[in-house]
Amino acid sequence: MQTLKRNILAVPILVWIGLLVGIPLIFVFVLSFLSRDSLGTIVFQFTLQNYQRVFSPIYLRVFLNSLLLAFLTGLVTMIVGYPVAYITANLSTKKRALSIGLIMLPFWISSLLRTYGWMILLGNSGIVNNVFLGLGLIDRPLSMMYKFGTTLIGTAYMLIPFMIVAIFNSVDKLDRSLLEASYDLGANKRQTFFNITLPLTIPGVAGGFTLVFIPALGMFYVSDLLGGGNTIFLGNLINTQVTRGRNRPLAAAFSVAMILVVLVVISVYSRVAKDDREGLFL
Amino acid sequence: MKRQRFSTVVGVFMIALFALAAVFYTGDVAEAAGEINLMTWGGDFIPRAIISEFEAETGIKVNYKEVTSNEDMQSLLEANPGQYDLAVVTDYMVDILRQTDMLAVLDKDQLPNYANINPVYHGAYYDPTDEYSIPYAVSISLLLVNPDGVKALGANPITSYHDLWQKELVNNVVIVDWSVEVIGVVLKSLGYDYNETDPVKVAEAREKLFAFKPNIMRFETNTPEDSLVNGEAVAGFMYSNQAVKGVQARADLAPVFPTEGVPIFIDSWVMSKEAPNKEGAYQFLNFIMRPEVAARIADLTKFTSPNKAAEEFLPEDFKNNPMLNLADEVLENASFYIGVDRVLDEYEHIYLEFKLR
Repeated sequence: MQTLKRNILAVPILVWIGLLVGIPLIFVFVLSFLSRDSLGTIVFQFTLQNYQRVFSPIYLRVFLNSLLLAFLTGLVTMIVGYPVAYITANLSTKKRALSIGLIMLPFWISSLLRTYGWMILLGNSGIVNNVFLGLGLIDRPLSMMYKFGTTLIGTAYMLIPFMIVAIFNSVDKLDRSLLEASYDLGANKRQTFFNITLPLTIPGVAGGFTLVFIPALGMFYVSDLLGGGNTIFLGNLINTQVTRGRNRPLAAAFSVAMILVVLVVISVYSRVAKDDREGLFL
Repeated sequence: MKRQRFSTVVGVFMIALFALAAVFYTGDVAEAAGEINLMTWGGDFIPRAIISEFEAETGIKVNYKEVTSNEDMQSLLEANPGQYDLAVVTDYMVDILRQTDMLAVLDKDQLPNYANINPVYHGAYYDPTDEYSIPYAVSISLLLVNPDGVKALGANPITSYHDLWQKELVNNVVIVDWSVEVIGVVLKSLGYDYNETDPVKVAEAREKLFAFKPNIMRFETNTPEDSLVNGEAVAGFMYSNQAVKGVQARADLAPVFPTEGVPIFIDSWVMSKEAPNKEGAYQFLNFIMRPEVAARIADLTKFTSPNKAAEEFLPEDFKNNPMLNLADEVLENASFYIGVDRVLDEYEHIYLEFKLR
């Protein structure tokens, strides 16, 4: 009775999640076992064919492609994001609020628009090329668009705030007396950082990595626009199967497979952050 | 302090609920008399200026739902047939919707202006008896080429699809991003028809498609003309309205009607079988088939009008544009993507292999 009273406030959110997350998920799961006719209409006939195709070699390459992109996105955001988060956490309260505000500011603008911004920057007649040409550094435009690397820049740029905020929280919570103790015992700044700060902020890094890795698997519009559609990631595949491929059951099977990948990532994360009592979202 | 925060949370929650309710509520009101709901591609595919004139003249409010693909319209219509009166879909989707029994048979007695439609568009494969659809916008795909750029790369002038395979054009071709259309280019370059099912011919096309990869700089369906305008590419395969925009932005670009022939699309009006306001829908269809209205729509959207009576109202530059005022020999050499459903699975698979190379 006591717990019921305490948990009554959680009911709205549970209903909310159940309606808007649970039911659609069940729908996708059921759909992934169904067939469709050539006109794209769903036929209520059980089949495992969709999953057979998911595990065929050609589609596995799409998985590998996506995992590579997501992993590299995590790596890049971690390398770039850690110093930013570390410095921000050591700022005065006022400056810190400003810094976090600036990191979050891009979220106020449509992500599609920001992707187009990169195209304006990196295009053959884009700003970067024009500046370099003007300075005489190059005599022909560098072709920077429509490559794997361009897609990587796009996903890393989109998702880096998640990494920074996750690491920031973990640096911020660091017990300063441990650092003082380290200095008292004669360790220099470098030793302190690598032996004390870094290990203690690993859960934050792992949390950030998870928050970046998962959405990076599905950002199809970034690779369509910046990657020029030159290769295929999971998100693109699901998108094409739903729209132009008229094969929603196959798209559902891929979605289920993608959810499984995400679950694996989360279970790795929870192992890394086992002793850390704070969850992913603090 | 704590209590205050709690009430804020509750307040926000209530506002969110009300907002949600409001959203759903307007959805219901849309079914009331005096309104029609239409859906089609966004942008200004049905010019807002024309819609406003119709609203002012008849007092019927038009709700325009923007959708990104034929397939999305199919799902929306299947999920809620009673929520939409009209839709504009591409020819092959008329065929599908007709076969899945989603469409109303149009009552031509209520459409006196239907007589303005050019008879060459009657009896097309997707609606052999002209019962379910009214052509709205005609377009083709073609090549847009930068002739100086092609010359600068040391390649021969481009007059056919086959010319796109010249090795000098490496990383210089932009193309729309759909298996059926890209493989269609390959099939045509080999002298075959779209959506070929003969395994020998398909295998041949597959090999030739793979050989095409080095020349493709970018796959882009929405704004491929940009790549020619900014000089990233010297040739592109795209829809005619995109090529028109490309030439407007950069006068040294030239349209090329490939000698092997071009694909043609007829985007057509269809009415939902369960349309809530058929009366209003007929009024709207009649309105947009008026010659001067159809001419303005064509000029605003840069699509060829199937309305014969509209031709005299078209501006000179429209009439003189070979991509909009299609020559007879272009139309004779144009063909539809018929039977997509028979080949889609296989083509998607080939296309995936091609992209992963």
